[in-house]
Amino acid sequence: MDRELILDVRGAAYRYPGTAEDAIAEVSLAVRVGEFHAVLGPNGSGKTTLVRVALGLVEPRSGTCEILRRPATTWSRRELARVVGVVTQREDNLFPQRVRESVLLGRYPHLSLWGRERPEDHAAVTRALERCDTLSLADRWLWTLSGGEYQRVRLARALAQEPRLLVLDEPTASLDVRHEMELFELVRGLVDQGGLAAIVITHHVNLAARFADRVLLLSGGRTAAGGAPADVLTRETVERVFAWPVAIEPFEGCPQMIPLRRKEAT
Amino acid sequence: MALRTEAQTLAHLRSVGGGPFFAMRLWAHRTHLAGLLTLAAVAACARGERTAAQRGVAITDDAGRRVTLAAPARRIVSLSPAITELLFALGAGDRVVGRTTWCDYPPAAEAVPNVGDGLNPNVEAVAARHPDLVVLYPSQVNETAARQLERLGIAAVVVRQDRLQDVARAARLLGFLTGREAAGDSIAGVISRGMAAPAAPLGTRLAVVVWDNPPMVIGGGSYLDELATLAGAENVFRDVRSASATVALETIATRDPDVIVLLRDTASSEPPRIARRPEWQAIRAVRERRFVQLTGSLFGRPGPRAAAAVAEVRRLLREVGR
Amino acid sequence: MKWLGLALAAVVAFGLAVVLGPAHVPLSDLATSDIVRSLRLPRAILAFLVGGALALSGASLQALVRNPLADPFLLGLSGGAGLGAVLAIALHLAGPWALPLAAFAGALAAMALVYRLGLVGGAELDPRVLILAGVVVGAFASAVTTAIVSLSEATELRNAFLWLWGGLSGASWDTVLVACVYFPIPVAVLVAAARPLDVLALGEEPARHLGTDVEPLKRRVYVAASLLTAAAVAVSGVIGFVGLVVPHAMRALWGHRHRPLFPAAFLGGGALLAFSDTVARTVVAPRELPVGIVTALVGVPVFAFLLRKWTAS
Repeated sequence: MDRELILDVRGAAYRYPGTAEDAIAEVSLAVRVGEFHAVLGPNGSGKTTLVRVALGLVEPRSGTCEILRRPATTWSRRELARVVGVVTQREDNLFPQRVRESVLLGRYPHLSLWGRERPEDHAAVTRALERCDTLSLADRWLWTLSGGEYQRVRLARALAQEPRLLVLDEPTASLDVRHEMELFELVRGLVDQGGLAAIVITHHVNLAARFADRVLLLSGGRTAAGGAPADVLTRETVERVFAWPVAIEPFEGCPQMIPLRRKEAT
Repeated sequence: MALRTEAQTLAHLRSVGGGPFFAMRLWAHRTHLAGLLTLAAVAACARGERTAAQRGVAITDDAGRRVTLAAPARRIVSLSPAITELLFALGAGDRVVGRTTWCDYPPAAEAVPNVGDGLNPNVEAVAARHPDLVVLYPSQVNETAARQLERLGIAAVVVRQDRLQDVARAARLLGFLTGREAAGDSIAGVISRGMAAPAAPLGTRLAVVVWDNPPMVIGGGSYLDELATLAGAENVFRDVRSASATVALETIATRDPDVIVLLRDTASSEPPRIARRPEWQAIRAVRERRFVQLTGSLFGRPGPRAAAAVAEVRRLLREVGR
Repeated sequence: MKWLGLALAAVVAFGLAVVLGPAHVPLSDLATSDIVRSLRLPRAILAFLVGGALALSGASLQALVRNPLADPFLLGLSGGAGLGAVLAIALHLAGPWALPLAAFAGALAAMALVYRLGLVGGAELDPRVLILAGVVVGAFASAVTTAIVSLSEATELRNAFLWLWGGLSGASWDTVLVACVYFPIPVAVLVAAARPLDVLALGEEPARHLGTDVEPLKRRVYVAASLLTAAAVAVSGVIGFVGLVVPHAMRALWGHRHRPLFPAAFLGGGALLAFSDTVARTVVAPRELPVGIVTALVGVPVFAFLLRKWTAS
């Protein structure tokens, strides 16, 4: 019995207007319920572009993208927001807000045009805050939070959408080791217990290897490798993609990448 | 000729004993013309040209500047329509070699070359006419221009002409500068006599509306107010000291003028714009369509035609009825 | 409660506008006085509508261009309106509505031009480019206007500037009727955009992912806010300060969520303008001050007080 297919990208290619080359080409990604996917690759390898194409923000030049078996571009933004919760790389909050208010924005796709927030909306917010371990922060101003706390709040907002799929674009970019680990543990927990699927774009090859079920490694807009971490993260592949000598060491059954210094490389 | 002090001048005036002329002379002394004018008065109807031609002319103008001409002006650029009118009325129109775009009276003035709109004088254009005298109205910009003209060696005189009494003084001043003192005095005399004798009261209360949105009316500090008073009417906004002021419609409605006076550039048989504005109907004179329209430059600026202006205003007021 | 206080302020402002004025009307005669019925009452209502429209427009534009210094006239509308008005006078267009309609048309032309310039990549409205385009278009229109006026021969044209500086003296029941027919749609569009604007405040991409159609939203808000402002200018000239400061003052009390902010801004702007107009009419009677001066003089202390209260909390 196959678990439900949430996101299905096949052979997608996209070129930004005014550029000479494809940002991504021939990339495929299939995400099912209960799966934690990691998308890895050097800068400019097309990771964010893949997400944009997958979520129907832009139309691919070729290939298909389906969400819950419908083409991504046929979904209205509001409908899609009820299914996919995205934590973008950056957000630029214009006004000071409290945590609870900010998370409440995640209920937007569920609210009607003129209607007020209903008790179930507030309940969803509370649940989301709990699951992200941020309930104690509910009345704090956003600008008083630490980086790690803020990221968890943003994740809570995405959870408040009550999505089937979570997409996080480099969520641990500026976090310290503790907050990084906490965030990955949190996402893993949500996938395991909450019936969600998750896609995490990240630079942290090692964390991806330990937490993700499947890894997609992109290079120059194309798929360098895709599959289980142990299959994808081999020394040859990683060295080729990242153009840097590495050693691969197993740890608890997961390959861990150790970049080598020039004099150590053979 | 040396200038006398004011005290000497006053003493001299009294000694001359020109009773009927005394009041007018008191005005003239303010510009230190007294000594020279006394001579002119003694000469009565003397041909002014011969007198002034024989000596240099020196005056202090309305900006307090001392200006000297070697001889009466022969080539004059006028940067004010009121001045142009006055120059022609003095019989010195043939000496006017430059005028502004707005100088439209008398018709002969339009034959004179146009040196610009006069609001921000084009000094080069003025100088190109080779004047020996330039006359300007008082303003910041004009005083700068006057200084620039002086640097070019051209005499520049600032003359105010906002109200009737200014006209009398200007007539004398310009009469002196052009050697046409008799004409100047004569005009000044007519004006002063006219001012001293307003027409019999018509019992009409009026408001002069110069703009509709926001409503602007003429106050007590303006030439139009003088015209109205001399014509025998009462400006309901006389108490406003400035020349014009923005007021609320309800103020006009409360003061309830009998007639609304409007200014127009060109004649038109169309009713004024305010006649159709719904909010203006709160004013009785508008509801009753009691408008007087004053067309043209005759009413816009004080000048030697003031008597004609007063007469016309009075005629129009009588026409529209009490 | 805050709402009660605001409603009270609005009622008091309206009441004063009807009761006070340069002409003394005793309270007993209020209902029958012609001055009150045909001049003060429509003027007070119009002040409320225009003030509210300006404040609402300002609040939406501040969210749209992501800039707290935005005000309704930032996007070139006042320049366009001025040019329209001056052209109407220069061309001797007849009719009592010629000036307002021409100003409105000028403002709309400016709006369309700024919109076109603000489109980046042919489809997306970029807020920063929008601001620049607005400033440029406004400055250009003003320059052309000044050129026409300084080169012209009619004194009427210089008086056009007086009209443009703002004032509610043109208020009549006709004007109120037109405003009541015209205002509801743009106001409704903006009020409906309140919640999406909250989401947009996170940034365009996060807003998209939360279910907002960002481009249509920006277009709607831009057009509705511009239409409101264009109508306000057509009816009462350029009244500054209200659209800039009232939203901030209301934010100090109601926070940044647009759902409560928009109605609060509308009421607050209306009350401020009604009150300021009363002061403009009475303080130097029989003369009248330009209302824009009074809104600034009255608004600044109120704003400073609220700012202190807000920063203290």
